[in-house]
Amino acid sequence: MSRVRRFFRTYKPFTRAGMQEMIAYRANFICFLIGEIMSAFIMYFVWKAVFLSTDRETFMGFTMEDMAVYLFISFLTGYLTYSDGAFSVGEEIIDGSIAMRMIKPCSFEMCFLFQELGSRIISVAMIFVPMVAGVEIYRCAVSGFVRFQIGAFLLYIVSLLLAYMISFYFNVCYGFMAFFFKNLWGTTLIKETVVNFLSGAIIPLAFLPSGLAAVLNILPFASLSYTPVMIYMGMYSTSQILWSFGLQLFWLVVMFGISKLIWRGAVKHLSIQGG
Amino acid sequence: MENMIYAENLRKEFKKIIKEPGLKGAAKALFKPKREIITAVDDISFTVSKGEILGFIGPNGAGKSTVIKMLTGILMPTSGVCRINGKIPKEDRKNYVREIGVVFGQRTQLWWDLALRETYAVLKEIYQVPDEQYKKRMAFLNEVLELDDFITSPVRTLSLGQRMRADIAASLLHSPKVLFLDEPTIGLDVVVKENIRSAIKKINEDEGTTVILTTHDLADIEYLCERIVMIDKGKKVFDGAISELKHNFGDVRTLEFELTGVPDFQLLDYSRHFKMKENDIRAELDGSTVRVRFDTSKVSVEEIVSYTLRTVHVKDLNIKDVEIEEIIKRLYRREVSL
Amino acid sequence: MRYFRLHRIFIAQYLKKLMEYKVDFLLGAIGMIITQALQLLFLGIIFSQIPALIGWSFEEILFIYGFSLIAKSLDHLFTDNLWMVGYRIVRKGEFDKYLTRPINTLYHVIAENFCVDAFGEILTCLLLLGYSIPKLSLPFHWYTTPLLLIVVVFATLIYTSLKIMTSAISFWTKASGHITHMLYMTNDFSKYPISIYNKTVQTVITYVIPFAFTAYYPASYFLTGENPLFCIGGTVIAGSVLFALALFVWNRGLAAYESAGS
Repeated sequence: MSRVRRFFRTYKPFTRAGMQEMIAYRANFICFLIGEIMSAFIMYFVWKAVFLSTDRETFMGFTMEDMAVYLFISFLTGYLTYSDGAFSVGEEIIDGSIAMRMIKPCSFEMCFLFQELGSRIISVAMIFVPMVAGVEIYRCAVSGFVRFQIGAFLLYIVSLLLAYMISFYFNVCYGFMAFFFKNLWGTTLIKETVVNFLSGAIIPLAFLPSGLAAVLNILPFASLSYTPVMIYMGMYSTSQILWSFGLQLFWLVVMFGISKLIWRGAVKHLSIQGG
Repeated sequence: MENMIYAENLRKEFKKIIKEPGLKGAAKALFKPKREIITAVDDISFTVSKGEILGFIGPNGAGKSTVIKMLTGILMPTSGVCRINGKIPKEDRKNYVREIGVVFGQRTQLWWDLALRETYAVLKEIYQVPDEQYKKRMAFLNEVLELDDFITSPVRTLSLGQRMRADIAASLLHSPKVLFLDEPTIGLDVVVKENIRSAIKKINEDEGTTVILTTHDLADIEYLCERIVMIDKGKKVFDGAISELKHNFGDVRTLEFELTGVPDFQLLDYSRHFKMKENDIRAELDGSTVRVRFDTSKVSVEEIVSYTLRTVHVKDLNIKDVEIEEIIKRLYRREVSL
Repeated sequence: MRYFRLHRIFIAQYLKKLMEYKVDFLLGAIGMIITQALQLLFLGIIFSQIPALIGWSFEEILFIYGFSLIAKSLDHLFTDNLWMVGYRIVRKGEFDKYLTRPINTLYHVIAENFCVDAFGEILTCLLLLGYSIPKLSLPFHWYTTPLLLIVVVFATLIYTSLKIMTSAISFWTKASGHITHMLYMTNDFSKYPISIYNKTVQTVITYVIPFAFTAYYPASYFLTGENPLFCIGGTVIAGSVLFALALFVWNRGLAAYESAGS
């Protein structure tokens, strides 16, 4: 018990620092968010035009209402599960200051994790609550009755947390790649675009050819965004939900394992090369 | 002599938002940010003659860089005037900056990713230096600053000393009349510092370039400047020749006694013997040498020597010159006031 | 013309730098192409299900989309360094350097960098226009080409001016990259026919942040030959007004600039 307490005592300052940073840079963060959310609005209007251009009520199984919910919840999920702490790992590797982290008596990825959690606490308060409320008011206004289901919402939260952890360890792995690529900007742009696509953030996976969709559903990227969103929308049956939780856990363990392996290799590499 | 730089009642104020520490402070700043006006430079006046090297010194945050930035036209003074070679920096900036060269020791103006000579090629165009003159100029700068060894290397691979030489050359490419050097020897080792100093001196002597130099290394000042302006907390606290500074702030001298046999340092207690404060007289043992620093206005050299000779066995004796560093240190520590 | 000669030298230096970092730039351009390609895949999937998007055919949509990339990519290619003003240059006090040089500060900042990532967008733009134009019977007159050139210049000015204006805010606030980002992102609205949006969005992207003049309005003129006065004239006016405003804000900002550090 005391070990757990000690663990949290060690990392609590990082969470506080993350929160403070978020508050200090709130204007930057809000402007940035407005810029990013623009694309969700554009997609919303494009889909509206698509539905106007067809006589059908649904498009590949989605009604306009589903589509709007999908767009905004998927934006929100992508935003909250996005992890860039690992990017700093990459930068520190490139400029050599990573050595300073290796001599400190705390796990360096935990430092990043707890710092990021701090900033996420603030973003949940600032955008998660208003956005979910906005989406639910929209759903209610369009369909005429309250569609919000507390059960689906709680399952979504669980899935969202898992997605965040997968994303975190995936990005830690990616940050470690800086040991091999000396560049991060171009690769980051490519990584983000590809991950966005594979996770269903650009196009719902259900719209892709069924073979491709089946493969993408199993890959870890679907676990980052598509899975939680589908759960939120109540598109998954109980067995599907259980299956996707299992899959998310599986990928979390895999990513965690890979990050540890790369880290071990990296430490060896550093101690041979001297940083 | 003709004045090259003329500054009168220069003053610069900054508005600053005060951030309180902690989460609570950050939250408070969200609703009611506290503002405060900070006077970085407070009514400073001085002149620099043509061809002079002026040392501009003061502790960190005294306002040195702010003054340099006003003189170079980067900052607009809140009030007061400065005129360099008859021009007011902020008026007609483009014409004014042709006449000055600026080096910020902490920041490079070189093209980071390219070979060093590419920076010069760009600067040649920016300052419109004619081909013929450019060739001559590069030959001269090469000779003084020894750029040849690394002129084809990418700037990011240069050592700090090489980078500083390269930066100084960059600021001199267009043969400016005035050269502003903001901490040109920061972070360099002793040998490189000496190189840089002699290069500055040579340029000043050969071309009559007026130089304003800020530094924390007083050896720079002693080697290069006849005159210094010292500022502290935005105010000018001293303006005059270095000899005058020594005279005004008491002659601090150092005597060195080399003792024979086992040094009997304990026997010497200068401050007690002369009933002086620790600050006015200080002794330390270095190997078999006792070094005594003292203020000659309080006690004479003769008295120190005779007391020491009476108390211990002395093999050799050495009188060192007044150390301006000591004076300035004391000034910074506010042991002497003006 | 002195500035022209200077620009050539700056670009030459930049290309030398490019040689030093080939891989980085290649990755950047590939990233840009992938981003665009996935967007197009999305359009492809939509059009596999519907014949036209509220009256616009697939080729027309691709034409507008490709047209929107002309100004965007040119601005990206030539003035990318403006982003750095709001993100880093002012905050870190690096702007001092520009003030000690005898050339126009705005020109100096812009000329110093040249962003080849933009070739990803230029390539996509050429592919889209090359694919869609032969399939559309566009009205062509002797004045079409000169008009196109005018539109390209003023549409690019719309992008550049918005970037100048928003990055100049950093002279007062130290950092303004996020404001540039926020306004810049609205450019994506111009990739689609303006009729898909509601009234508010239409008004904003026509009169407030007039990105619609960088793509939809001129593109629709070249598609249909209708409304030249509004579609082309509007682009010219929006570009000029914004540019004048941008220069004004920039110069005011320079006077307020307060360096950094001690």
